[in-house]
Amino acid sequence: MKRIIIADDSATARMFIKRCLQIVGLGDAEFVEAEDGKQALDAAKEQPADLLLTDLNMPVMDGQTLVKWVKASPKLCGMPIIVITSAGNPAKEAQLLELGAYRVLNKPVSPPIMMDALQDFLD
Amino acid sequence: MTQEHQFYPAMIEAVQQTLENMVFMEVIEERGAPTEIPATDLTWSSMLINDPVQGEIRLAMPAGLLKKISGNVFGIDEEEVTTSQAYDILNELLNTIGGLFMTKLLPNQEYKIGLPTLEAGKLPEVDEHTVVWHLINSDEEPIKIYADGESLAALHQKVE
Repeated sequence: MKRIIIADDSATARMFIKRCLQIVGLGDAEFVEAEDGKQALDAAKEQPADLLLTDLNMPVMDGQTLVKWVKASPKLCGMPIIVITSAGNPAKEAQLLELGAYRVLNKPVSPPIMMDALQDFLD
Repeated sequence: MTQEHQFYPAMIEAVQQTLENMVFMEVIEERGAPTEIPATDLTWSSMLINDPVQGEIRLAMPAGLLKKISGNVFGIDEEEVTTSQAYDILNELLNTIGGLFMTKLLPNQEYKIGLPTLEAGKLPEVDEHTVVWHLINSDEEPIKIYADGESLAALHQKVE
């Protein structure tokens, strides 16, 4: 069973992402929800996940800082990270990819977009 | 096409994309006299645009429609939807619409938006710095978007 961490300060946004993942065939995954980057990092340290999906703007620790911390950790750096944001722009996207994010998606994320982003992961 | 020319259609597209992808609801622009939302059934949320222009975006719809949408999203009967669940959905929709609108309007620029806030009571009066979009779904239930603020609305007014 795949373990997927979803970090977003909005419970509704986490639910939307989860529903999207269920639609693309990951309904049997173990979903771990985090309200901020710090909670997501703690959850990953406790048990590394197969995938981390994170919002960008969150309290305590934002998504960009979370990407930095994960990629700096020898134990966690292989974990693919998808950043989902409503405040994206090409410069920010390039910055996140440079830091090691696997993909950057703009909200709203529909199942086809999620499916495309997860193509390598689902294979 | 200049940024200014995209202002009005950018919002229509942002709302349509958001509602279609997130809550599987299609909306179109309402033609003719707009359907008003009775004050007793009005629910709305607002969000500040902080940079590079300043303004506010508001999303308003009937409370009954919000409950119906929330019920669909959570997969429960609309009567079982809690007020908190419904308001969270409204805020998330506005957050996504606002972000998408700014991305379409200023595609290569960084922008800063605030957090959506649930509001109560009447909507602010519409003035010369307010742009209003009247939309309806297939059941002809109204959804309204307001963009307010001198510098934000100026992007639209430049082409009038």
